[in-house]
Amino acid sequence: MTHYNEDELILYYYGEARRRADIEHHLDTCGECGKAYRQLAGTLSLIAAPEVPDRDDRYGLEVWQRIRHQLPLQDAPFWATWFRWDRLAIAGAAAAFCVVVLAAFVAGRLFQRPATDRPAVVAASVDTSTEANSRVRLAAIGDHLERSERVLLDVVNAHDGKQIDVSDAQAWASDLVDANRLYREAAVRGGDTMVADVLDQLERNLQEIVHGPSSLTPAQLDQLRVRIDAAALLFKVRVLHDELRERETAPAPPRKTT
Amino acid sequence: MEQMDASDAAAVLARARQGDGEAFRALVEQHSRSVFRLAHRMTGNEQDAEDVVQESFLRAYRQLGRFESRANFGTWLYRITANCAVDLMRSKQARHDQSRAEPLDEATDQTTSTGPDPERMAGSAEIQQRVAQALEALSPLERAAFTLRHYEGRSIDEISRALGLGTSAAKHSVFRAVKKLRVALEPVRGLQA
Repeated sequence: MTHYNEDELILYYYGEARRRADIEHHLDTCGECGKAYRQLAGTLSLIAAPEVPDRDDRYGLEVWQRIRHQLPLQDAPFWATWFRWDRLAIAGAAAAFCVVVLAAFVAGRLFQRPATDRPAVVAASVDTSTEANSRVRLAAIGDHLERSERVLLDVVNAHDGKQIDVSDAQAWASDLVDANRLYREAAVRGGDTMVADVLDQLERNLQEIVHGPSSLTPAQLDQLRVRIDAAALLFKVRVLHDELRERETAPAPPRKTT
Repeated sequence: MEQMDASDAAAVLARARQGDGEAFRALVEQHSRSVFRLAHRMTGNEQDAEDVVQESFLRAYRQLGRFESRANFGTWLYRITANCAVDLMRSKQARHDQSRAEPLDEATDQTTSTGPDPERMAGSAEIQQRVAQALEALSPLERAAFTLRHYEGRSIDEISRALGLGTSAAKHSVFRAVKKLRVALEPVRGLQA
């Protein structure tokens, strides 16, 4: 008989367990799990929602009166951030790279070998395509690591003061988190554990920056620095960046021909 | 509270996004009570909840340009409020950490082992006090995830979106919170029966 662990029982309690009917049946028939579940449910039932103090219809107006003189400048729309010169330069470089890859691909299709060599050509074309994809991916991850390194350096080297504003680094980190997740997932799928591990650590630290306060006290900044230092994250990001650049520029291994 | 229909709400939002203070005022008046309720549930006290309300609206105003108009403003504001509450709990915890020697887990254990006997604690007031102490001992993220799951009835997916976490991280935050609460509340469990 398979018993259910505490995590599964917690999900069941909150109605989020899969195979709910199976668990229900098991809890009815297994004394051990039934007892564990009753204890868990008993404890959680002690935790009633706290009574929230009442706020009347004028509350909204009171809040408005409190904040109206403190309204900050609005951030630029999300699309405007793509029109900064540095991002345009990156986008331009990426577009140029894609054009070169596409041109190489088209040229390869136009100048095919005679029909007798066809199987080898097809194999070579597949190799070239896979290899090109891999290089594009490495280049993209390399760029991503470079940008992430700059964000981390921005935070680590932030000037001490009474309050340290890291909102720029935060906004930048926020832009990088999604891309990081995609690259990490691609690395996991491709079995590249070294890349996946570093990206995983990087993602957690980027999340930490994104979800932290935008204005830090010196103590909070120190804590953040300590966490980044403890993980040797900057070092790992640099090493991986160099490694990927080497892989990207390394000559392709000789192809097998028949 | 006056409710706006969908086209009014969209128009008000569009004006607020262009920096129209009066339009933003309408949004503040419409959403303040729900923001306060969430903030209070997450922080557990009135003063902190008021700070979170204020900071949430200021942050929302600053980031209105990034708000996608096809999204729901209430959902977006809910996410901002949850994160402001986490920020406030983190900064409070950082302040406490400087004056407290033992880590949170030890503090929880200590509460459990050296607290008053169950026999000496009677009535729900004592239980709720214990619950409040146990919630205080959670990390900000654990407390936020637990509050959203237990009090607000949010699913793990919704919690992960609200707090900007992966689904697995959100799930494990809830698991850790429940386990710590079970340890901390074990002495008072018998009182309920």
